[in-house]
Amino acid sequence: MIGSNQTLRILHAGALERVVKKCLEHFTKQNPGLKFELEGVGSREGAKRLLAGEEYDIIALADQALFEELLVPKLVENYFVFAADQIVIGYNHSSRGSAEITSKNWADMLLKPQVTFARSDHHLDPCGYRTLMVWQLAEIFYDKPGLCSIMEDTSFPYSTYPKSLDLAGALSKGKVDYAFLYSSQTKQFGLPSIILPAKVNLSNPAYADFYNQAAVSLEGIMPSKSVIVHGKPIEFAIGIANGSEYYELSKSFIDLLTGLEGNLILEECGFIPC
Amino acid sequence: MNEVILSKSELIPIERSIQAELLLLLGQRPSHGYELIQRLNETSFKSGEADAATVYRNLRRMDKDGLIKSHWEVGESGPGRRLYELTIHGEESLKVWAQCIAQQKEKLENFMQAYLQFEISLSTRAKGVNVT
Repeated sequence: MIGSNQTLRILHAGALERVVKKCLEHFTKQNPGLKFELEGVGSREGAKRLLAGEEYDIIALADQALFEELLVPKLVENYFVFAADQIVIGYNHSSRGSAEITSKNWADMLLKPQVTFARSDHHLDPCGYRTLMVWQLAEIFYDKPGLCSIMEDTSFPYSTYPKSLDLAGALSKGKVDYAFLYSSQTKQFGLPSIILPAKVNLSNPAYADFYNQAAVSLEGIMPSKSVIVHGKPIEFAIGIANGSEYYELSKSFIDLLTGLEGNLILEECGFIPC
Repeated sequence: MNEVILSKSELIPIERSIQAELLLLLGQRPSHGYELIQRLNETSFKSGEADAATVYRNLRRMDKDGLIKSHWEVGESGPGRRLYELTIHGEESLKVWAQCIAQQKEKLENFMQAYLQFEISLSTRAKGVNVT
């Protein structure tokens, strides 16, 4: 029986908000009386909050590499890959040029005058730096030298949307014509999307070496020091914070997320359960 | 399961033959999904580009059907991942797949033999026309 004063604190990628909430609906039935505190953030920002001393029991991030780079072993001992995804170009039915855009002409369409597009903040959110990687890979794949720089110069200022969830919301409200998002987000928001080639969209481990050519400079642990992050297939991961007061409960939650019930929820939300 | 494979052996679509390919790779050695996708795309027998969604969907299906089993493996370095391995039931299924593919190979060889004879007859006929 769970005590009424027990509160499980979960820090999660904004992109996982719906998954975490749906899992909690099931988890609460198994653990009546348990309370939760949820914090949805850009995953890079979330990892830095932990480093700054904020305390959580469960950490679910949009980039498994963040655990190794920032959290293991001091703050998290073990972490598990539980879902995969890909970058797509989301749009809405009032987006300018939506009747003509395809997976082949998207770069030309987005760079047309009056068309607006955006990405999330790469210093805070993996979807932001993954978008920059997609642009770099597109430059190679389509043999369009300079494409990445032009896209960076033409898109909305990156700081406008701290995390991809904010951007998905803005796209669904028509504040921007096109947005680089996870495929799962466009499905959750009921938005149409352009599927990019597998060599560009960071979805396929078979192209890990090709993705590795893309590299983005990010603020390190200290804002004055930067780190270079290379492209990898998109994988989400989860772990329990060292010293969690509720280790067994946290483990049960992770078992639910990575088990049959969790797999169904992930699929419903447009992710690929791993 | 094996009856289903044989009953559909007239034509094996990519979505189904990938199961045979994954069973064979897992028979060679247990692997997690990420590694399997890489290994599958390096083989000379893959049916097409194996994307992550298709591979993971088939792994879950075969896990549910008891052809493979899985557990979470904590990485010594790097992330923990679900590790898949072949079951005895999966080994039996792989044997049936191999029989089915052998039958298809024989059919295709017979077709090619008949086709080559047809091509020779066409060529002979054409020569005959040229002579006259």
